[in-house]
Amino acid sequence: MVTLRCQLGWAKGMPGSLTETDIGPSVVSPLDRVTPPSCKRQMMGPLSFITMNWGACPGHTMVLQPSERHNRDWSHGRLGPWCSPTGSPAPLSCETGCGEGSWILVCRLLVPTQVSLLSMEEDIDTRKINNSFLRDHSYATEADIISTVEFNHTGELLATGDKGGRVVIFQREQESKNQVHRRGEYNVYSTFQSHEPEFDYLKSLEIEEKINKIRWLPQQNAAYFLLSTNDKTVKLWKVSERDKRPEGYNLKDEEGRLRDPATITTLRVPVLRPMDLMVEATPRRVFANAHTYHINSISVNSDYETYMSADDLRINLWNFEITNQSFNIVDIKPANMEELTEVITAAEFHPHHCNTFVYSSSKGTIRLCDMRASALCDRHTKFFEEPEDPSNRSFFSEIISSISDVKFSHSGRYIMTRDYLTVKVWDLNMENRPIETYQVHDYLRSKLCSLYENDCIFDKFECVWNGSDSVIMTGSYNNFFRMFDRNTKRDVTLEASRENSKPRAILKPRKVCVGGKRRKDEISVDSLDFSKKILHTAWHPSENIIAVAATNNLYIFQDKVN
Amino acid sequence: MEFKLEAHRIVSISLGKIYNSRVQRGGIKLHKNLLVSLVLRSARQVYLSDPCPGLYLAGPAGSPAAPPQQPGEPAAGPPAGWGEPPPPAACAAWPETEPQPERPADPAPPRVGAAEPAAPVTGAGDALRAGEVEEAEAAWRRVEGPREAAEGGAGVFAGAEGPRGARRHCGCPPGGEDRPGALGACPRVDCRCAPRPAEDEPPAPPAVGPRKRGAAGVGGGPAGGPAPGSSPLKKPRRNSEEQPGGAEEEEEMETGNVANLISIFGSSFSGLLRKSPGGGREEAEGEESGPEAAEPGQICCDKPVLRDINPWSTAIVAF
Repeated sequence: MVTLRCQLGWAKGMPGSLTETDIGPSVVSPLDRVTPPSCKRQMMGPLSFITMNWGACPGHTMVLQPSERHNRDWSHGRLGPWCSPTGSPAPLSCETGCGEGSWILVCRLLVPTQVSLLSMEEDIDTRKINNSFLRDHSYATEADIISTVEFNHTGELLATGDKGGRVVIFQREQESKNQVHRRGEYNVYSTFQSHEPEFDYLKSLEIEEKINKIRWLPQQNAAYFLLSTNDKTVKLWKVSERDKRPEGYNLKDEEGRLRDPATITTLRVPVLRPMDLMVEATPRRVFANAHTYHINSISVNSDYETYMSADDLRINLWNFEITNQSFNIVDIKPANMEELTEVITAAEFHPHHCNTFVYSSSKGTIRLCDMRASALCDRHTKFFEEPEDPSNRSFFSEIISSISDVKFSHSGRYIMTRDYLTVKVWDLNMENRPIETYQVHDYLRSKLCSLYENDCIFDKFECVWNGSDSVIMTGSYNNFFRMFDRNTKRDVTLEASRENSKPRAILKPRKVCVGGKRRKDEISVDSLDFSKKILHTAWHPSENIIAVAATNNLYIFQDKVN
Repeated sequence: MEFKLEAHRIVSISLGKIYNSRVQRGGIKLHKNLLVSLVLRSARQVYLSDPCPGLYLAGPAGSPAAPPQQPGEPAAGPPAGWGEPPPPAACAAWPETEPQPERPADPAPPRVGAAEPAAPVTGAGDALRAGEVEEAEAAWRRVEGPREAAEGGAGVFAGAEGPRGARRHCGCPPGGEDRPGALGACPRVDCRCAPRPAEDEPPAPPAVGPRKRGAAGVGGGPAGGPAPGSSPLKKPRRNSEEQPGGAEEEEEMETGNVANLISIFGSSFSGLLRKSPGGGREEAEGEESGPEAAEPGQICCDKPVLRDINPWSTAIVAF
């Protein structure tokens, strides 16, 4: 059973007459998401917009019943009625007071879709096609905001975590012979609630359920395993398929009730019968109570037996099998907290050497540690730091030099770091400066004060390598994301939004005008929307498929090479 | 001058962020608050490294340490230095509402990045009198002084003592310099501020010698008594330490600044303070458990000596 993600909201209008534009500003009380009880997996196509018969006043749980009208051809799943305010499952009908201006419940399903195409080449020959994608909802609830995106090791699965503690896994369709021109699309494979909000009574603190990171384990059998973490707890989830079910138990009848052995007269052997494919996710391990501060990264070791979790001041090493203890391998907490000057911001294991890992700090430094050197890796083996440019000093120099993400290249030779304005590539063999520095959005340098005021300066952007380590990608504001080709030194800015890209249309490179005359199609710095930021992106491990999370929407772009 | 204004504004914003971080879901975030405190420190430094650095070392009385843009007059009461109304609420908040004697000049040590607190306090049109700015400043000062005698319960921002608070005995901008844990000792031990002219020590700005405050048992608010009393002590000490130690001093202060701020949050920082019950529980996020957590939900102090600092705990409550 797949749980669809829906957003519900109240809107005014006549059922059946509701259009998408009605939904926006007139919605008064967006509600929590509910689970349609009967949905099949692999449903969808593009986003569906379903009008429902309206239910009670805002604030009550609603009764939903699919109306006759569907915006799109969505016939697979049906939302059954559930939860009425009065307790009765009877759906409300149109007749009950549905007059003009009355309230209707609108349910919008978040459905992932398709692929779009893009290419680093700007040749006209290579076409960039953008398929349809999720619609942006103007009143997205905060719980929908995607907080992490990660492909698994083969690229077949894509996992996203959001602020509401949910994990949604997409699976790539097998390519079919019929549609050669369209490569596999990603469809919802499984959705589950990974973390719930918790309350630490001892400290009177609420622990957010937001998924900070997801990391896949390499596949070793038919099931998939992933680690997901919130601020305090890491969980190992097993995602497995079930397409057969046993039938013919002796002691249980078909509904599962126990039978009185005395009534059994014959015995039979249970057989496995095919059933609709069901994907289940079960938590196999919970690694809790090891972090005092907020966990910001997890990284699976190349030995596939251990992993590390890093919080602001400490890094712990875990064994997958052991949940009640972990080893502390880095501890930068000063004896006197008043002397605190830097915190750990990200950490990652080397892709091939299981003894090596790096961690970045808020001061813009990266330390590489070798676990063979000592049990506590407080002393680094290598220390990467670039001297600060004194001409760029400002109030906010420290903030913008804080590294928000560090990633090893697939080869293991380079590391890439992202700070607020730049992406840097470092060679592991050279510690005194990066070998490449790319300006992501240098035009923001003069706006740091405003960005500080609206807290945007604290945004933690991530960065990713492509499969061959030749292109790096990172996000920016206004739903822009940037790619830098390390070999050709070319870069491109693209936008993940539906307004500017029609389905299957070509993704057009964007440009930010930094002053002077603004050319057509350019966007000026002042009109950038800082609420639309792309913090999380992922690149398929071997192909040119990227997943870009823009607030609560997930865009999947694919390169089409013909 | 623009720098000063800018610095001031940044300080206010930073204080606002620190304040709001208390109510954020998920607890106080160590990283973000660390960055905010660094900005605060930078802004404070800029603010103090005013175009007239030489004035800071001017002798007591009459040295117009106040930024040139502010007319300095030792008027009592917060002058509308910035053209903004004095914070009325501020005074009310503090039990001890002595009129803020104007400090002729704020001999803020050049290295001290004290945002404005010292300056405005000196009155003389110095510094922000803007209601909220001042409150922000007050908060800043409170924050800075580890042992800040927080007024009981009232939001720091409402601290009338703002202006006063800013004034440490030694006139150093609150914060940073204080070495935590040195209870009772002259908090200004490392203060290299030039002697304050009128040490008019404003009635015990809570900020005053945190330790002293503690000792004085300033609970619900700044105690006027101790402050004046302590100032004479301060003065000689201050004078003797007139010469800043330079970079080294700077280092200490800087760390201290951040640390003090960190103490404010309480959370995640194995704080040096033990809060009185009900104080700052919400800041206990990330608190080390075990030995440091003497009482659940409270910030425990590594150094028992700080236990007695009631004013500080009340300051924490404000946060």
